[in-house]
Amino acid sequence: MRWLLEPNIRPGLIILMLQTKMDQNFFISAEDFVPSGLAGIDREPFELFLILEARLLDLRKFWDWKNLYTEEGVYWVPASPNQKDPYKEASLFFDDAPVMITRFVWLEQPRIQIKTPPSRSVHMVSNVIVETADNEAGEYLISSTMSMTEYRQDTQRIFSGYQFHRLVKTKDSFQIRLKQVNLVNCDSAFEAMAVPI
Amino acid sequence: MFNGTHARIADLVQPGRVHRDVYTDPNLFELEMTRIFEKAWIFVGHDSQIPGVGDFVTSEIARQPIILIRHTDGSPRVLINRCSHRGAKVINEQSGNAKTLTCLYHGWSFGSDGKCLGVTMPEGCSPSFQKEDYGLSNVARTANYRGFIFASLTPTGPSFEEFLGPMTANIDDLVDRAPDGEILLDAGVHRYIYRGNWKLQVENVLDSYHVPFSHASTVNKKGQQFSRREGDKGGAQVVDQEKKKTADSWRGRRSYVVDFGHGWTSNTQLKDNERSSPAWDAYKESLASKVGVDRMEEILTPEFHNTLLYPNTSIMGLNIHVRVIKPLAVDLTEVNVYPIRLKGAPDEMNFGNIRLLNVTHSASSFVQTDDLEAFRRTQEGLRSRQNEWIDISRGLGEEQADSHYNATSESAMHEMAVRAQYSAWLNYLNASN
Repeated sequence: MRWLLEPNIRPGLIILMLQTKMDQNFFISAEDFVPSGLAGIDREPFELFLILEARLLDLRKFWDWKNLYTEEGVYWVPASPNQKDPYKEASLFFDDAPVMITRFVWLEQPRIQIKTPPSRSVHMVSNVIVETADNEAGEYLISSTMSMTEYRQDTQRIFSGYQFHRLVKTKDSFQIRLKQVNLVNCDSAFEAMAVPI
Repeated sequence: MFNGTHARIADLVQPGRVHRDVYTDPNLFELEMTRIFEKAWIFVGHDSQIPGVGDFVTSEIARQPIILIRHTDGSPRVLINRCSHRGAKVINEQSGNAKTLTCLYHGWSFGSDGKCLGVTMPEGCSPSFQKEDYGLSNVARTANYRGFIFASLTPTGPSFEEFLGPMTANIDDLVDRAPDGEILLDAGVHRYIYRGNWKLQVENVLDSYHVPFSHASTVNKKGQQFSRREGDKGGAQVVDQEKKKTADSWRGRRSYVVDFGHGWTSNTQLKDNERSSPAWDAYKESLASKVGVDRMEEILTPEFHNTLLYPNTSIMGLNIHVRVIKPLAVDLTEVNVYPIRLKGAPDEMNFGNIRLLNVTHSASSFVQTDDLEAFRRTQEGLRSRQNEWIDISRGLGEEQADSHYNATSESAMHEMAVRAQYSAWLNYLNASN
């Protein structure tokens, strides 16, 4: 799978073009997913990575957060509990590199109405399980639970759900091929949200 | 506050302005439900949502629960979702399939045409009890245009043909883009909610004036919006940065209105024939193979940008979708945005539409979120009683008859469409039962 970017990325001229799709089993069918929970693998580096990943969102360091992803990495928040992939149905978020770039350029604009003032958030990550590990290829599937408390202008709301990370080992950390968040209320009607969960 | 003692409802709507009560008064909201939403033809779903016998989707008309279900004879039926016995909602799911509809409370069952099939322990019913008298009510009238199913709770009033009038062309403009001449609303739904009156979203649909300002965050330093459609090389030029004003191409947009508050904005920006990507090119090929190159060129020069079917349905021609605006309370509104798949188009093309609609019209999108913030702040601003009037006077008196569309036209930077909506609003609210 490959996304194309204009050679010189400028806001407003980002080409949001699809070439090919992810493999069928790339995304997680959350409703059917039974955790395996591999024993004997040190969870600590994975847990630390997930906590720092979430912290970057709370700190609004969106470009650093984007840099955690591989070139083809995607961030997906389904809009229904049994959604199999982002290709056939609406999603709350389906951000690949070009959409992420557009989103973060947008979030930096001075005249962004939904973020004046910006929201504040606190993430919690828990119940971290190493589901599959391919040490040779350095590829891992991690499941965990998350909650994000978001506050803006006298209104506080809570997002919570299961999340799935497909990680690939780098020299001293990991990169994200997939972050998928299955919110417990994913098919409800939401007030506007603008920052990743 | 409006309390029924206003000399005339008409006082609320004056040339170029409307009273704040129309957005804030709960009593007026109740009148809108009975006099607009119970009288008008309301979009209740699309053929493609209920392809098989027994398939159903549930929704509301004027907040009242209804079921759209495919009957055994193949026709779509619209039933009131309320048990004829003690009143419980019979279908609780948003969608599904059922051969018989059985009430959870005392087990009464009904067919997909609403007929009462059985009453549990019938020996307890009075001697005069006839189950034929106890079906689920069908709505008074239903109609279907190219898969769009509408219902009216009122047996009298304008026919569906009168109501829709020339707006069939707007539906055709969308549906004809499908190589097989059919669209599918089977790609999920974006649901969002805002703390504001339903008319704020309705008015916004045909408001081109707000775009360079509300959506300033979506354009680059050269005033061009991000590309938001499959195969686009860049987005619409919204602002002319050198002249520090709205771009000429954007200012040239027109809006059109016809009877019943319906209207649309013209298309000066879509240039579908200039788009190119593997998915878009494959789509053009599939369309041309079905309808011929000449007709394809015609179809890919769409005439309509946004369309409003008053009171609460819109069709967007840019990031194609159907939008339904559901009033919940005077200051609370839910909006459902249905992505569209074009039947016969390549999967990649349909995915391109679904993917970019996430970016423009999901609850987390770049475009819709700014509008939602505008609606919320308007509702809060209108708490002020120091200024009782909302100004909608831009272009008042500059309306022109348009013989091509048999409509009334004006610059889309003006507020004619809002005024036309309030003209229809008055007609509905002033009509006696």
